Amino acid sequence: MMRNLRTYGRAILAVAEMTFRHNVMDLFIIFTVLIQPLLIAIMALWMLGDKGGDIAMFVVVGSGMTGLWSSLLFVSGNSINVERRSGTLETLVGVPTPLEAIVFGKNLADVTQSLVSMMASYLLAGLIFGFSLSIQQPLLFFVSLLFSVVAFISFGLIIAPIFVMNPAVQQFQNAMEFPIYMLSGFLFPIALLPGWTTPLSYLLPPYWAARALHATSTGGGSLPEVLLCWGMMLVFSLIYFFISSRLFKLMLVKARTDATLDME
Amino acid sequence: MLRKLLVNLRIFWQGTLLSYIGMFHWLRPTTYLASKILMPLAQILFFTFLGMYATGRDNASFYVIGNAVQISAVSGIYGVTMSIGGDRWNGTLPYLFGTPANRFFLFVGRAFMHVIDGMLGVVVGLMWGVLLLNLNLSQTDLPALALTILITTISCSGMGLLMGCIGLITTNVMFVNNSVYFLLLIFSGANIPLDRLPALFRILAQGLPLTRGIASARALIAGSSLESVAPLLLGELAVGLAYGLAGFWLFRWFETKAKQKGSLETV
Repeated sequence: MMRNLRTYGRAILAVAEMTFRHNVMDLFIIFTVLIQPLLIAIMALWMLGDKGGDIAMFVVVGSGMTGLWSSLLFVSGNSINVERRSGTLETLVGVPTPLEAIVFGKNLADVTQSLVSMMASYLLAGLIFGFSLSIQQPLLFFVSLLFSVVAFISFGLIIAPIFVMNPAVQQFQNAMEFPIYMLSGFLFPIALLPGWTTPLSYLLPPYWAARALHATSTGGGSLPEVLLCWGMMLVFSLIYFFISSRLFKLMLVKARTDATLDME
Repeated sequence: MLRKLLVNLRIFWQGTLLSYIGMFHWLRPTTYLASKILMPLAQILFFTFLGMYATGRDNASFYVIGNAVQISAVSGIYGVTMSIGGDRWNGTLPYLFGTPANRFFLFVGRAFMHVIDGMLGVVVGLMWGVLLLNLNLSQTDLPALALTILITTISCSGMGLLMGCIGLITTNVMFVNNSVYFLLLIFSGANIPLDRLPALFRILAQGLPLTRGIASARALIAGSSLESVAPLLLGELAVGLAYGLAGFWLFRWFETKAKQKGSLETV
Protein backbone atom coordinates (compact mmCIF):
# COMPACT_ATOMS: atom_id res chain seq x y z
CA MET A 1 0.00 0.00 0.00
CA MET A 2 2.69 2.49 1.13
CA ARG A 3 4.90 1.38 -1.73
CA ASN A 4 2.10 2.01 -4.21
CA LEU A 5 1.44 5.46 -2.75
CA ARG A 6 5.14 6.32 -3.02
CA THR A 7 5.20 5.13 -6.63
CA TYR A 8 2.08 7.07 -7.52
CA GLY A 9 3.40 10.12 -5.68
CA ARG A 10 6.58 9.99 -7.74
CA ALA A 11 4.55 9.63 -10.93
CA ILE A 12 2.32 12.57 -9.96
CA LEU A 13 5.32 14.80 -9.35
CA ALA A 14 7.02 13.70 -12.58
CA VAL A 15 3.85 14.39 -14.58
CA ALA A 16 3.41 17.75 -12.83
CA GLU A 17 6.98 18.73 -13.70
CA MET A 18 6.62 17.75 -17.36
CA THR A 19 3.24 19.50 -17.60
CA PHE A 20 4.67 22.64 -16.05
CA ARG A 21 7.61 22.65 -18.46
CA HIS A 22 5.25 22.24 -21.39
CA ASN A 23 2.80 24.87 -20.15
CA VAL A 24 5.36 27.64 -19.77
CA MET A 25 6.10 27.36 -23.50
CA ASP A 26 2.44 27.44 -24.58
CA LEU A 27 1.18 30.93 -25.41
CA PHE A 28 -2.47 29.91 -25.08
CA ILE A 29 -1.81 28.78 -21.52
CA ILE A 30 0.25 31.88 -20.77
CA PHE A 31 -2.65 34.01 -21.96
CA THR A 32 -5.12 32.02 -19.84
CA VAL A 33 -3.17 32.02 -16.59
CA LEU A 34 -1.33 35.32 -16.83
CA ILE A 35 -2.46 37.82 -19.47
CA GLN A 36 -6.23 37.44 -19.19
CA PRO A 37 -6.33 37.68 -15.35
CA LEU A 38 -4.08 40.75 -15.58
CA LEU A 39 -6.37 42.40 -18.13
CA ILE A 40 -9.39 41.56 -15.96
CA ALA A 41 -7.56 43.02 -12.96
CA ILE A 42 -6.82 46.24 -14.86
CA MET A 43 -10.45 46.53 -15.90
CA ALA A 44 -11.78 45.75 -12.42
CA LEU A 45 -9.37 48.18 -10.74
CA TRP A 46 -10.52 50.98 -13.05
CA MET A 47 -14.16 50.04 -12.57
CA LEU A 48 -14.12 49.41 -8.82
CA GLY A 49 -11.19 51.58 -7.73
CA ASP A 50 -13.42 54.29 -6.27
CA LYS A 51 -15.08 51.93 -3.82
CA GLY A 52 -12.14 52.32 -1.47
CA GLY A 53 -11.43 50.07 1.51
CA ASP A 54 -10.07 46.67 0.64
CA ILE A 55 -11.30 46.68 -2.93
CA ALA A 56 -7.81 46.43 -4.46
CA MET A 57 -7.06 43.27 -2.45
CA PHE A 58 -10.51 41.95 -3.39
CA VAL A 59 -9.71 42.52 -7.09
CA VAL A 60 -6.25 40.95 -6.78
CA VAL A 61 -7.68 37.77 -5.29
CA GLY A 62 -10.74 37.74 -7.56
CA SER A 63 -8.85 38.28 -10.82
CA GLY A 64 -6.31 35.65 -9.75
CA MET A 65 -9.17 33.23 -9.23
CA THR A 66 -10.45 33.91 -12.74
CA GLY A 67 -7.05 32.63 -13.91
CA LEU A 68 -7.45 29.54 -11.73
CA TRP A 69 -10.88 28.73 -13.13
CA SER A 70 -10.01 29.48 -16.77
CA SER A 71 -6.91 27.34 -16.47
CA LEU A 72 -8.94 24.51 -14.93
CA LEU A 73 -11.61 24.77 -17.62
CA PHE A 74 -9.46 25.12 -20.71
CA VAL A 75 -6.19 23.42 -19.73
CA SER A 76 -7.08 20.77 -17.13
CA GLY A 77 -10.43 20.17 -18.83
CA ASN A 78 -8.53 19.22 -21.98
CA SER A 79 -5.83 17.23 -20.18
CA ILE A 80 -7.16 13.87 -21.44
CA ASN A 81 -8.37 15.15 -24.80
CA VAL A 82 -4.89 16.47 -25.56
CA GLU A 83 -3.54 12.92 -25.19
CA ARG A 84 -6.35 11.58 -27.35
CA ARG A 85 -5.59 14.06 -30.11
CA SER A 86 -1.88 13.28 -30.05
CA GLY A 87 -2.54 9.53 -30.04
CA THR A 88 -0.93 8.85 -26.67
CA LEU A 89 -4.08 8.15 -24.65
CA GLU A 90 -4.12 4.41 -25.33
CA THR A 91 -0.51 4.16 -24.16
CA LEU A 92 -1.27 6.10 -21.00
CA VAL A 93 -4.24 3.86 -20.28
CA GLY A 94 -1.98 0.84 -20.75
CA VAL A 95 0.78 1.83 -18.30
CA PRO A 96 0.66 0.48 -14.71
CA THR A 97 0.23 3.96 -13.19
CA PRO A 98 -3.50 4.74 -12.90
CA LEU A 99 -4.76 7.35 -15.35
CA GLU A 100 -6.25 9.27 -12.38
CA ALA A 101 -2.75 9.74 -10.96
CA ILE A 102 -1.48 11.06 -14.28
CA VAL A 103 -4.35 13.50 -14.66
CA PHE A 104 -3.95 14.49 -11.00
CA GLY A 105 -0.33 15.41 -11.72
CA LYS A 106 -1.37 17.46 -14.73
CA ASN A 107 -4.04 19.29 -12.73
CA LEU A 108 -1.58 19.90 -9.91
CA ALA A 109 0.76 21.69 -12.33
CA ASP A 110 -2.10 23.62 -13.98
CA VAL A 111 -3.63 24.81 -10.71
CA THR A 112 -0.41 25.72 -8.92
CA GLN A 113 0.99 27.62 -11.89
CA SER A 114 -2.31 29.54 -12.09
CA LEU A 115 -1.46 31.04 -8.72
CA VAL A 116 1.04 33.11 -10.69
CA SER A 117 -1.93 35.15 -11.90
CA MET A 118 -2.69 36.20 -8.33
CA MET A 119 0.91 37.26 -7.75
CA ALA A 120 0.96 39.18 -11.05
CA SER A 121 -2.28 40.98 -10.13
CA TYR A 122 -0.78 41.77 -6.71
CA LEU A 123 2.26 43.38 -8.35
CA LEU A 124 0.08 45.21 -10.86
CA ALA A 125 -2.20 46.71 -8.21
CA GLY A 126 0.72 47.62 -5.96
CA LEU A 127 3.33 48.86 -8.41
CA ILE A 128 1.32 50.24 -11.34
CA PHE A 129 -1.89 51.38 -9.64
CA GLY A 130 -0.17 52.37 -6.40
CA PHE A 131 -2.56 50.61 -4.02
CA SER A 132 -1.25 49.72 -0.61
CA LEU A 133 -1.83 46.00 -0.24
CA SER A 134 -1.48 43.64 2.66
CA ILE A 135 -2.93 40.23 3.42
CA GLN A 136 -4.77 40.66 6.70
CA GLN A 137 -4.62 37.04 7.89
CA PRO A 138 -1.57 35.54 6.14
CA LEU A 139 -1.59 32.15 7.86
CA LEU A 140 -5.31 31.58 7.27
CA PHE A 141 -4.89 32.86 3.72
CA PHE A 142 -2.08 30.38 3.04
CA VAL A 143 -4.09 27.45 4.43
CA SER A 144 -7.11 28.62 2.38
CA LEU A 145 -4.89 28.59 -0.68
CA LEU A 146 -3.90 24.95 0.01
CA PHE A 147 -7.54 23.92 0.42
CA SER A 148 -8.37 25.81 -2.78
CA VAL A 149 -5.68 24.01 -4.77
CA VAL A 150 -7.02 20.61 -3.65
CA ALA A 151 -10.63 21.68 -4.32
CA PHE A 152 -9.78 22.91 -7.81
CA ILE A 153 -7.83 19.72 -8.61
CA SER A 154 -10.79 17.57 -7.55
CA PHE A 155 -13.11 19.69 -9.70
CA GLY A 156 -10.71 19.31 -12.64
CA LEU A 157 -10.70 15.52 -12.20
CA ILE A 158 -14.43 15.56 -12.91
CA ILE A 159 -14.35 17.95 -15.83
CA ALA A 160 -11.68 16.13 -17.86
CA PRO A 161 -13.42 12.72 -18.16
CA ILE A 162 -16.80 14.40 -18.75
CA PHE A 163 -15.31 16.33 -21.67
CA VAL A 164 -13.74 13.14 -23.06
CA MET A 165 -16.88 11.03 -22.87
CA ASN A 166 -19.32 13.80 -23.86
CA PRO A 167 -17.93 15.91 -26.71
CA ALA A 168 -21.32 17.68 -26.86
CA VAL A 169 -20.71 19.05 -23.35
CA GLN A 170 -17.28 20.30 -24.34
CA GLN A 171 -18.81 22.42 -27.09
CA PHE A 172 -20.14 24.60 -24.27
CA GLN A 173 -16.64 25.05 -22.80
CA ASN A 174 -16.35 28.69 -23.90
CA ALA A 175 -19.74 29.49 -22.42
CA MET A 176 -18.76 28.06 -19.01
CA GLU A 177 -16.05 30.59 -18.21
CA PHE A 178 -17.97 33.70 -17.14
CA PRO A 179 -20.85 31.92 -15.33
CA ILE A 180 -18.43 30.44 -12.78
CA TYR A 181 -16.79 33.87 -12.35
CA MET A 182 -20.25 35.16 -11.44
CA LEU A 183 -21.60 32.26 -9.39
CA SER A 184 -18.38 32.01 -7.37
CA GLY A 185 -18.32 35.69 -6.49
CA PHE A 186 -14.77 36.22 -7.76
CA LEU A 187 -15.19 39.95 -8.44
CA PHE A 188 -18.57 40.90 -6.99
CA PRO A 189 -20.73 39.46 -4.20
CA ILE A 190 -23.20 36.76 -5.25
CA ALA A 191 -25.87 38.77 -3.39
CA LEU A 192 -26.11 40.89 -6.56
CA LEU A 193 -27.34 37.87 -8.51
CA PRO A 194 -30.96 36.64 -8.45
CA GLY A 195 -31.72 34.63 -5.29
CA TRP A 196 -32.37 31.37 -7.17
CA THR A 197 -28.71 31.17 -8.20
CA THR A 198 -27.40 31.05 -4.61
CA PRO A 199 -27.82 27.26 -4.15
CA LEU A 200 -25.86 26.78 -7.39
CA SER A 201 -23.02 28.83 -5.91
CA TYR A 202 -23.02 26.68 -2.78
CA LEU A 203 -22.40 23.58 -4.93
CA LEU A 204 -19.25 25.01 -6.46
CA PRO A 205 -15.86 24.53 -4.77
CA PRO A 206 -14.60 27.76 -6.46
CA TYR A 207 -17.27 29.68 -4.52
CA TRP A 208 -15.99 28.38 -1.15
CA ALA A 209 -12.41 28.96 -2.26
CA ALA A 210 -13.18 32.56 -3.26
CA ARG A 211 -15.09 33.18 -0.05
CA ALA A 212 -12.22 31.88 2.10
CA LEU A 213 -9.53 33.76 0.16
CA HIS A 214 -11.49 37.03 0.08
CA ALA A 215 -12.27 36.75 3.80
CA THR A 216 -8.69 36.03 4.86
CA SER A 217 -7.02 38.50 2.50
CA THR A 218 -9.22 41.47 3.43
CA GLY A 219 -9.78 40.37 7.03
CA GLY A 220 -13.51 40.68 6.44
CA GLY A 221 -14.43 37.21 7.67
CA SER A 222 -14.54 35.58 11.07
CA LEU A 223 -12.67 32.37 11.94
CA PRO A 224 -15.89 30.27 11.98
CA GLU A 225 -16.70 31.51 8.48
CA VAL A 226 -13.24 30.56 7.23
CA LEU A 227 -13.51 27.15 8.91
CA LEU A 228 -16.88 26.64 7.24
CA CYS A 229 -15.30 27.37 3.86
CA TRP A 230 -12.46 24.94 4.52
CA GLY A 231 -14.95 22.30 5.62
CA MET A 232 -17.06 22.76 2.51
CA MET A 233 -14.00 22.59 0.26
CA LEU A 234 -12.92 19.39 2.02
CA VAL A 235 -16.36 17.81 1.69
CA PHE A 236 -16.70 18.77 -1.97
CA SER A 237 -13.16 17.58 -2.69
CA LEU A 238 -13.94 14.16 -1.20
CA ILE A 239 -17.24 13.93 -3.10
CA TYR A 240 -15.61 15.00 -6.35
CA PHE A 241 -12.67 12.61 -5.89
CA PHE A 242 -15.20 9.80 -5.40
CA ILE A 243 -17.26 10.80 -8.46
CA SER A 244 -14.14 11.23 -10.57
CA SER A 245 -12.91 7.72 -9.65
CA ARG A 246 -16.25 6.36 -10.98
CA LEU A 247 -15.95 8.46 -14.12
CA PHE A 248 -12.40 7.26 -14.75
CA LYS A 249 -13.53 3.62 -14.31
CA LEU A 250 -16.29 4.21 -16.85
CA MET A 251 -13.81 5.78 -19.22
CA LEU A 252 -11.42 2.84 -18.87
CA VAL A 253 -14.25 0.45 -19.67
CA LYS A 254 -14.76 2.36 -22.88
CA ALA A 255 -11.03 2.08 -23.52
CA ARG A 256 -10.50 -1.59 -22.71
CA THR A 257 -13.85 -3.24 -23.39
CA ASP A 258 -15.52 -1.16 -26.07
CA ALA A 259 -12.25 0.10 -27.63
CA THR A 260 -14.02 3.39 -28.34
CA LEU A 261 -11.80 5.68 -26.33
CA ASP A 262 -10.23 7.50 -29.25
CA MET A 263 -13.55 8.16 -30.95
CA GLU A 264 -15.29 11.51 -30.70
CA MET B 1 -15.38 46.82 -67.98
CA LEU B 2 -18.86 45.65 -66.99
CA ARG B 3 -17.89 42.05 -67.64
CA LYS B 4 -14.84 42.43 -65.42
CA LEU B 5 -16.98 43.86 -62.67
CA LEU B 6 -19.43 40.97 -62.96
CA VAL B 7 -16.59 38.45 -62.80
CA ASN B 8 -15.21 40.17 -59.71
CA LEU B 9 -18.62 40.22 -58.06
CA ARG B 10 -19.00 36.50 -58.80
CA ILE B 11 -15.56 35.85 -57.28
CA PHE B 12 -16.54 37.93 -54.28
CA TRP B 13 -19.78 36.03 -53.73
CA GLN B 14 -18.44 32.54 -54.44
CA GLY B 15 -15.32 33.22 -52.38
CA THR B 16 -17.53 34.44 -49.56
CA LEU B 17 -19.87 31.49 -49.61
CA LEU B 18 -17.42 28.68 -50.33
CA SER B 19 -14.76 29.87 -47.89
CA TYR B 20 -17.39 30.13 -45.15
CA ILE B 21 -18.76 26.65 -45.90
CA GLY B 22 -15.27 25.19 -46.24
CA MET B 23 -13.66 26.73 -43.19
CA PHE B 24 -16.55 26.68 -40.76
CA HIS B 25 -17.88 23.18 -41.47
CA TRP B 26 -17.19 22.37 -37.81
CA LEU B 27 -19.67 25.05 -36.68
CA ARG B 28 -22.60 22.82 -35.74
CA PRO B 29 -25.81 24.23 -34.24
CA THR B 30 -24.74 23.40 -30.68
CA THR B 31 -21.31 24.97 -31.20
CA TYR B 32 -22.99 28.05 -32.64
CA LEU B 33 -25.43 28.15 -29.73
CA ALA B 34 -22.58 27.93 -27.23
CA SER B 35 -20.19 30.40 -28.83
CA LYS B 36 -22.55 32.91 -30.41
CA ILE B 37 -25.58 32.91 -28.09
CA LEU B 38 -24.58 31.67 -24.62
CA MET B 39 -21.00 32.98 -24.39
CA PRO B 40 -22.11 36.54 -25.29
CA LEU B 41 -24.92 36.28 -22.75
CA ALA B 42 -22.45 35.19 -20.08
CA GLN B 43 -20.06 38.02 -20.99
CA ILE B 44 -22.83 40.64 -20.94
CA LEU B 45 -24.13 39.40 -17.58
CA PHE B 46 -20.67 39.27 -15.99
CA PHE B 47 -19.61 42.77 -16.97
CA THR B 48 -23.05 44.25 -16.31
CA PHE B 49 -23.11 42.84 -12.78
CA LEU B 50 -19.51 43.98 -12.25
CA GLY B 51 -20.53 47.43 -13.50
CA MET B 52 -23.59 47.48 -11.26
CA TYR B 53 -21.37 46.56 -8.31
CA ALA B 54 -19.12 49.49 -9.24
CA THR B 55 -21.66 52.19 -10.01
CA GLY B 56 -25.13 50.97 -9.02
CA ARG B 57 -28.06 49.23 -10.69
CA ASP B 58 -29.21 52.43 -12.44
CA ASN B 59 -26.23 52.27 -14.79
CA ALA B 60 -26.88 48.73 -16.04
CA SER B 61 -27.78 49.88 -19.56
CA PHE B 62 -24.31 51.46 -19.97
CA TYR B 63 -22.70 48.04 -19.60
CA VAL B 64 -25.39 46.10 -21.47
CA ILE B 65 -25.06 48.29 -24.57
CA GLY B 66 -21.25 48.42 -24.40
CA ASN B 67 -20.88 44.66 -24.15
CA ALA B 68 -23.66 43.84 -26.62
CA VAL B 69 -21.98 45.99 -29.30
CA GLN B 70 -18.56 44.65 -28.33
CA ILE B 71 -19.88 41.15 -29.15
CA SER B 72 -19.39 42.10 -32.81
CA ALA B 73 -15.69 41.46 -32.13
CA VAL B 74 -16.40 37.72 -31.74
CA SER B 75 -17.24 37.48 -35.44
CA GLY B 76 -15.20 40.49 -36.52
CA ILE B 77 -11.93 39.46 -34.90
CA TYR B 78 -12.06 35.68 -34.36
CA GLY B 79 -14.27 34.79 -37.34
CA VAL B 80 -12.49 36.93 -39.90
CA THR B 81 -9.06 35.90 -38.62
CA MET B 82 -9.95 32.24 -38.92
CA SER B 83 -11.31 32.92 -42.39
CA ILE B 84 -8.04 34.48 -43.60
CA GLY B 85 -5.74 32.12 -41.70
CA GLY B 86 -7.87 29.09 -42.59
CA ASP B 87 -6.39 28.95 -46.08
CA ARG B 88 -2.96 28.56 -44.58
CA TRP B 89 -3.99 25.95 -41.99
CA ASN B 90 -5.90 23.94 -44.61
CA GLY B 91 -3.10 24.11 -47.16
CA THR B 92 -5.17 25.95 -49.78
CA LEU B 93 -3.13 29.17 -49.71
CA PRO B 94 -0.86 28.15 -52.64
CA TYR B 95 -3.93 27.56 -54.83
CA LEU B 96 -5.40 30.88 -53.77
CA PHE B 97 -2.20 32.71 -54.66
CA GLY B 98 -2.06 30.79 -57.92
CA THR B 99 -5.38 32.10 -59.21
CA PRO B 100 -5.65 35.21 -61.37
CA ALA B 101 -8.66 36.34 -59.27
CA ASN B 102 -8.85 39.91 -58.06
CA ARG B 103 -7.17 39.88 -54.65
CA PHE B 104 -9.23 42.70 -53.19
CA PHE B 105 -12.54 40.94 -53.85
CA LEU B 106 -11.13 37.66 -52.57
CA PHE B 107 -9.82 39.35 -49.45
CA VAL B 108 -12.92 41.35 -48.58
CA GLY B 109 -15.14 38.37 -49.38
CA ARG B 110 -13.59 36.51 -46.44
CA ALA B 111 -15.15 39.05 -44.05
CA PHE B 112 -18.64 39.35 -45.56
CA MET B 113 -20.40 36.44 -43.79
CA HIS B 114 -18.84 37.48 -40.49
CA VAL B 115 -20.28 40.98 -40.84
CA ILE B 116 -23.76 39.44 -41.17
CA ASP B 117 -23.05 37.03 -38.32
CA GLY B 118 -21.58 39.79 -36.16
CA MET B 119 -24.66 41.97 -36.66
CA LEU B 120 -26.85 39.07 -35.62
CA GLY B 121 -24.67 38.64 -32.53
CA VAL B 122 -25.13 42.28 -31.50
CA VAL B 123 -28.90 42.03 -32.02
CA VAL B 124 -29.01 38.89 -29.86
CA GLY B 125 -26.91 40.70 -27.22
CA LEU B 126 -29.29 43.65 -27.15
CA MET B 127 -32.26 41.27 -26.98
CA TRP B 128 -30.69 39.61 -23.94
CA GLY B 129 -30.40 43.09 -22.46
CA VAL B 130 -34.08 43.83 -23.12
CA LEU B 131 -35.26 40.44 -21.81
CA LEU B 132 -33.04 40.07 -18.74
CA LEU B 133 -31.63 43.46 -17.79
CA ASN B 134 -34.47 45.91 -18.52
CA LEU B 135 -32.77 47.60 -21.43
CA ASN B 136 -35.23 50.19 -22.74
CA LEU B 137 -35.34 50.68 -26.52
CA SER B 138 -38.56 52.73 -26.58
CA GLN B 139 -36.73 56.00 -27.38
CA THR B 140 -34.49 54.42 -29.99
CA ASP B 141 -34.37 55.20 -33.68
CA LEU B 142 -34.15 51.53 -34.66
CA PRO B 143 -33.04 51.98 -38.32
CA ALA B 144 -30.27 54.28 -37.10
CA LEU B 145 -29.28 51.69 -34.50
CA ALA B 146 -29.22 49.03 -37.25
CA LEU B 147 -26.91 51.28 -39.30
CA THR B 148 -24.67 51.73 -36.25
CA ILE B 149 -24.50 47.97 -35.75
CA LEU B 150 -23.66 47.46 -39.43
CA ILE B 151 -20.89 50.07 -39.45
CA THR B 152 -19.43 48.88 -36.15
CA THR B 153 -19.36 45.29 -37.33
CA ILE B 154 -17.70 46.33 -40.61
CA SER B 155 -15.17 48.32 -38.60
CA CYS B 156 -14.43 45.35 -36.34
CA SER B 157 -14.08 43.10 -39.37
CA GLY B 158 -11.56 45.57 -40.79
CA MET B 159 -9.42 44.94 -37.76
CA GLY B 160 -10.10 41.20 -38.14
CA LEU B 161 -8.72 41.34 -41.70
CA LEU B 162 -5.51 42.86 -40.38
CA MET B 163 -5.31 40.27 -37.58
CA GLY B 164 -5.93 37.52 -40.12
CA CYS B 165 -2.94 38.69 -42.14
CA ILE B 166 -0.84 38.77 -38.99
CA GLY B 167 -1.98 35.15 -38.66
CA LEU B 168 -0.26 34.46 -41.97
CA ILE B 169 3.11 35.50 -40.58
CA THR B 170 2.89 34.08 -37.06
CA THR B 171 1.94 30.77 -35.49
CA ASN B 172 0.38 32.38 -32.44
CA VAL B 173 -2.49 34.31 -33.90
CA MET B 174 -4.97 33.16 -31.20
CA PHE B 175 -2.74 34.70 -28.55
CA VAL B 176 -2.86 38.00 -30.46
CA ASN B 177 -6.62 37.68 -31.03
CA ASN B 178 -7.40 36.94 -27.39
CA SER B 179 -5.29 39.88 -26.27
CA VAL B 180 -6.92 42.23 -28.80
CA TYR B 181 -10.41 41.06 -27.77
CA PHE B 182 -9.75 41.87 -24.11
CA LEU B 183 -8.00 45.15 -24.95
CA LEU B 184 -11.13 46.16 -26.83
CA LEU B 185 -13.19 45.31 -23.74
CA ILE B 186 -11.02 47.68 -21.71
CA PHE B 187 -10.25 50.56 -24.06
CA SER B 188 -13.26 50.83 -26.38
CA GLY B 189 -15.46 52.30 -23.67
CA ALA B 190 -17.53 49.11 -23.44
CA ASN B 191 -17.01 48.90 -19.67
CA ILE B 192 -14.97 51.91 -18.62
CA PRO B 193 -16.08 55.45 -19.55
CA LEU B 194 -13.33 56.95 -21.71
CA ASP B 195 -12.95 59.97 -19.42
CA ARG B 196 -11.82 57.62 -16.65
CA LEU B 197 -8.88 56.36 -18.69
CA PRO B 198 -5.45 58.03 -18.51
CA ALA B 199 -4.84 60.51 -21.36
CA LEU B 200 -2.57 58.16 -23.32
CA PHE B 201 -5.20 55.41 -23.37
CA ARG B 202 -7.92 57.89 -24.35
CA ILE B 203 -5.88 58.65 -27.47
CA LEU B 204 -5.36 54.93 -28.08
CA ALA B 205 -9.13 54.40 -27.77
CA GLN B 206 -9.76 56.82 -30.62
CA GLY B 207 -7.74 54.59 -32.91
CA LEU B 208 -9.72 51.45 -32.11
CA PRO B 209 -12.79 50.07 -33.79
CA LEU B 210 -15.90 49.93 -31.56
CA THR B 211 -15.12 53.11 -29.58
CA ARG B 212 -17.33 55.40 -31.68
CA GLY B 213 -19.81 52.64 -32.50
CA ILE B 214 -20.49 51.97 -28.83
CA ALA B 215 -20.82 55.70 -28.11
CA SER B 216 -23.21 56.03 -31.04
CA ALA B 217 -25.34 53.07 -29.90
CA ARG B 218 -25.56 54.49 -26.38
CA ALA B 219 -26.60 57.91 -27.73
CA LEU B 220 -29.24 56.43 -30.06
CA ILE B 221 -30.73 54.24 -27.34
CA ALA B 222 -30.89 57.32 -25.09
CA GLY B 223 -32.98 59.04 -27.78
CA SER B 224 -30.48 60.89 -29.98
CA SER B 225 -31.06 61.27 -33.70
CA LEU B 226 -29.06 59.82 -36.58
CA GLU B 227 -27.82 63.30 -37.52
CA SER B 228 -26.26 63.81 -34.11
CA VAL B 229 -24.32 60.53 -34.23
CA ALA B 230 -23.37 60.78 -37.92
CA PRO B 231 -19.83 62.09 -37.17
CA LEU B 232 -19.27 59.16 -34.82
CA LEU B 233 -20.42 56.70 -37.46
CA LEU B 234 -18.24 58.24 -40.15
CA GLY B 235 -15.28 58.08 -37.78
CA GLU B 236 -16.02 54.44 -36.95
CA LEU B 237 -16.21 53.56 -40.64
CA ALA B 238 -12.94 55.39 -41.35
CA VAL B 239 -11.14 53.51 -38.56
CA GLY B 240 -12.44 50.17 -39.84
CA LEU B 241 -11.47 50.95 -43.45
CA ALA B 242 -7.99 51.99 -42.33
CA TYR B 243 -7.49 48.63 -40.58
CA GLY B 244 -8.94 46.75 -43.55
CA LEU B 245 -6.66 48.53 -46.02
CA ALA B 246 -3.65 47.92 -43.78
CA GLY B 247 -4.66 44.24 -43.76
CA PHE B 248 -4.95 44.17 -47.54
CA TRP B 249 -1.53 45.78 -47.91
CA LEU B 250 -0.07 43.14 -45.56
CA PHE B 251 -1.84 40.39 -47.50
CA ARG B 252 -0.28 41.57 -50.78
CA TRP B 253 3.12 41.98 -49.14
CA PHE B 254 2.89 38.44 -47.74
CA GLU B 255 1.96 37.07 -51.18
CA THR B 256 4.85 38.88 -52.85
CA LYS B 257 7.39 37.78 -50.23
CA ALA B 258 6.09 34.21 -50.17
CA LYS B 259 6.40 33.97 -53.96
CA GLN B 260 9.87 35.53 -53.96
CA LYS B 261 11.28 33.36 -51.20
CA GLY B 262 9.15 30.22 -51.59
CA SER B 263 8.21 30.58 -47.93
CA LEU B 264 4.47 30.11 -48.28
CA GLU B 265 4.16 27.22 -45.85
CA THR B 266 7.25 27.78 -43.76
CA VAL B 267 6.55 31.05 -41.92
